Amino acid sequence: MPQQTYLAHGKVHDLFANIQSVMIGKEEVTTLSIVALLAKGHVLLEDVPGVGKTMLVRTLSKSVDCEFRRIQFTPDLLPSDVTGVSIYNPKTLEFEFRPGPLLGNIVLADEINRTSPKTQSSLLEGMEESHVTVDGNTIELKRPFFVMATQNPIEYEGTYPLPEAQLDRFLLKLNMGYPSAAEEMQMLDLISNDHPINRVQAVMTKEELIELQNRAAEVYVDPNIQRYIVNVVSETRRHPSAYLGVSPRGSIALMKAAKAYAFIQDRDFVLPDDVKYLAPFVLSHRLILNSEAKFEGMTSEDLVNDILQKVSIPVRKEK
Amino acid sequence: MANDPIERNQFLFRGIVYLCGFLLFWEWLRPLDQITDTANMAVFVVYAAFCFFLSFIHLPWFFTIPMKLIGLAFVLDGLFIGRRFLSGDWFRFVYDHIQYNIDVMVANQWWQMTPLFRSMLFLLLLWLMSYLLYYWFIVAKRTSFFVILTIVYVTVLDTFTVYEGKGAIIRTFLISLIVMGLSSFTKEMEKESIAIRGRRVYRAWVIPLMVVVLFASVIGYAAPKKAPQWPDPVPFIQGAVNGVGGSGGNAIQKVGYGTNDEQLGGSFVQDNTPVFQAVADGEHYWRIETKDVYTGKGWIRSSEGNPIEQPVANDINLGYFNDAVKREDKVATIAMNDNATFSKLVYPYGIEKVSNSEADTLVINPTTGEIIPQKNGESFQLNGYEIGYAQPSFSFSQLAESGTDDPPQIDQAYTQLPESLPEQVRDLAEEIVAESSNRYEKARAVEEYFQQNGFEYSTKNIPVPDEGEDYTSQFLFDTQVGYCDNFSTSMVVLLRSVGVPARWAKGFTGGEQIDTIEVDGELKNVYQITSGNAHSWVEVYFPDVGWVAFEPTKGFGNHTDFYIDDTEEDDEESSEVDENLQEQLEQNQEQTPEMDEQDMAGKTDESSGGGGSFTVPTWLWIVLVIVVLAILGLVYRYRYHLLAMYYRRKYIQNPGQHNYETAYEFLLKVLDKKEDLNRSSGQTLQEFAHSVDDHYRTQEMGQLTYHYERLVYQKDSSKHPWDKMSELWENLIKKTLS
Repeated sequence: MPQQTYLAHGKVHDLFANIQSVMIGKEEVTTLSIVALLAKGHVLLEDVPGVGKTMLVRTLSKSVDCEFRRIQFTPDLLPSDVTGVSIYNPKTLEFEFRPGPLLGNIVLADEINRTSPKTQSSLLEGMEESHVTVDGNTIELKRPFFVMATQNPIEYEGTYPLPEAQLDRFLLKLNMGYPSAAEEMQMLDLISNDHPINRVQAVMTKEELIELQNRAAEVYVDPNIQRYIVNVVSETRRHPSAYLGVSPRGSIALMKAAKAYAFIQDRDFVLPDDVKYLAPFVLSHRLILNSEAKFEGMTSEDLVNDILQKVSIPVRKEK
Repeated sequence: MANDPIERNQFLFRGIVYLCGFLLFWEWLRPLDQITDTANMAVFVVYAAFCFFLSFIHLPWFFTIPMKLIGLAFVLDGLFIGRRFLSGDWFRFVYDHIQYNIDVMVANQWWQMTPLFRSMLFLLLLWLMSYLLYYWFIVAKRTSFFVILTIVYVTVLDTFTVYEGKGAIIRTFLISLIVMGLSSFTKEMEKESIAIRGRRVYRAWVIPLMVVVLFASVIGYAAPKKAPQWPDPVPFIQGAVNGVGGSGGNAIQKVGYGTNDEQLGGSFVQDNTPVFQAVADGEHYWRIETKDVYTGKGWIRSSEGNPIEQPVANDINLGYFNDAVKREDKVATIAMNDNATFSKLVYPYGIEKVSNSEADTLVINPTTGEIIPQKNGESFQLNGYEIGYAQPSFSFSQLAESGTDDPPQIDQAYTQLPESLPEQVRDLAEEIVAESSNRYEKARAVEEYFQQNGFEYSTKNIPVPDEGEDYTSQFLFDTQVGYCDNFSTSMVVLLRSVGVPARWAKGFTGGEQIDTIEVDGELKNVYQITSGNAHSWVEVYFPDVGWVAFEPTKGFGNHTDFYIDDTEEDDEESSEVDENLQEQLEQNQEQTPEMDEQDMAGKTDESSGGGGSFTVPTWLWIVLVIVVLAILGLVYRYRYHLLAMYYRRKYIQNPGQHNYETAYEFLLKVLDKKEDLNRSSGQTLQEFAHSVDDHYRTQEMGQLTYHYERLVYQKDSSKHPWDKMSELWENLIKKTLS
């Protein structure tokens, strides 16, 4: 259920408008990407090629005046291709570190499931720990650091599906979906001359983004809401169709996302509505269905939605 | 019932809860045989248990309703109907009863409803209660309301009636704790959607619950407790009422026969406890004693007279009538009730002989009229005896012609009046008898005086005279409302004021005829005399006739026999008198039937024992319960309207965070009751508000919710404009409740 987002906060609104000038439709994905950006989380975009995943990330990075890097994952990609490598400099007689694409501010990890687990994990380590280890040296990543990974759910041949433990590191998993016919027409119209991405100007600086991230983290979460989050998450562990439930990291992720979502709506406190709206995006990639549920055609989203119908919303002030 | 262990457990739990409901309901029935005239309580309890059981096992209605009906018929048959069960005759009997009672009810003559019909209504009430409690306890799982009602009921009865609620309150508490513990347990389980499985739950819940309840009860029972912190409310309330009335203390007394009449006055409550049964030809005064000295407050005796001891076999001669009085020999049988304690005999006028094998001696006091049976020199109560008596009939002419030459001892003893008697009483007496030419006419004039002039019969709100106030003067001039003591004392005093010797007689009225039996080939009536029949009346002395009873109390008929003799028709004056008498006679006869249901009388002093008692006939009880249930039902039906009014006032008076919160929560509750609107637990307030606003086509719920969210989820919401929302709230609640 796409909710009406107010995006009342000036800078956030500008960011949203900027992205929308390139992306036709896709308000929800745009909003949620901003949520992940402000919550200091990362996004996994899962959809077929050609629906605008890369375009979204590029526009986003252009809108925020910061360094954009792109890694195209292939089966022969090595971890050092991601993190960077030390090269011997004969002039100085020293090894010099040449940073890889991971050391940007906004990183697009395209087709992440095409590379070997070894390379995947080097990316994921960076995402979680905010630093990478190269040749025994720990290198801090830049701030802000935002990864948008994409994967294609259709082609399985020659892919290495991300294990559950690594999916856990993405704050949100989003689907792009196809545009509606009208949107597609509009898109064609827009592209016919010059691609709009070339006209995109930055609307905020890195510093401003960090400032917004910090403010989003200050949004108040009532103990009532915290209990609600915990109830929802623990219900995934108890659900008869769940093989593996959501870890406590999921609870934290849900709360962080809810804070950012409340923030972009210019609210200084979280509503149950925020939690309820975000839960499918935050939780569904963190749980595994059991084989019966899979056989019945159930999806993780269905399971989360089922739980959201059942867990009671706190509607009274804690005394 | 069910093989599934979960269901079996649930069934067991429900069974225990419902059983507790029945036990609580039993506490409602227990006091009835004490405070009402309901008998055979056990049968009603068994029927209630039967209904509860049938409600519980939840059979289809076409099975349970006939079962309950048959049960009802069976109970009625056992209690009232002697005919073959469910025969044609049986149905006709019941049908006639019902028809009669419906007529009676339509005519608003509730008191004439027959016991069978009243019992039937009562049984139906039990039936309904079994449903109601099933709903409360099992379906709605709301036990606390009934628990509180029960406790209130027991405490009120304990405080205001003779019912001793000590055991009841302990039982009620025990059962209440158990039932509330269990039902909150099942509620909790349902809320968390945990099935009750296996014995583990018992060990974890039920056993600790029982232990805690028992422990708490034992501690509560055994622990030292403070004395009541409040005074007994009954005297306090009465004091408050009297304070308003300003007429001094008038403790409520229980009606009945008592011996101490030094302080008359005060209200009393009705009591229909049977005292004795009499088999006689007609209604008589059942006389016990007389008193001669009026003190201004009540009656005492100048002397104890000269009792004569004589063997039972001897004839009794009280010497109340001259030989000229016509008499008729009759026999009456008295059977005292088990719980009555009377050392004195009750007897009709003209008593001549008492037949009883138990007593050997009778102590007869012609002055006071007391007859006390003795055995081996000790007085005791005769439980049954036969009285041979010559019932006197008085000729009007004889009475009219009777002279005024009273014997000195009579004149001296029976015209006494206290010096404090206000002059206005004497003046009134003179005024009343101004036109009477003879003593009989004087007596009749005074007797008549009370029938007119605005006197009213009542047992309620009767004051006790203040210090320095005369009992009769208060009645005659101030209140004009009273019962037999007021009327009879006033008549004696008025007669004495004009020099007519009179005395104050006490005993019982004729009672209620309950049966007719055949004794030695003659049909005789059986009368039931209850405490409520205790009475006082007036005896006037006529020199050539003797002591004649008069009945001044309004609404009561004189039991004395008068007749018109036709021997002196030639005398013009006397024939005129005769006509008057004829009229009066007719009046008397007209009055007689009235009194059966209204016999009221004297009183016993019970107020000193702390708290009056009070008895309500069963029909009134049933009507009361129905009315109370109806009111409760209405309150329940309109509870949201009432609550809405309450919250509205509260919120408008004090528009703050807290009151906004309660008002909004109330709104949620009301909306929840709407079938098409109720909020599922997983629905957020915004989603809910959206659906409500869609339904009513408004924006109000959304706005209210917007503010409420800030209250619940925001860190600091104190600076919110809470006072702005009352109108929104009011509009919405009106729409919801309409």
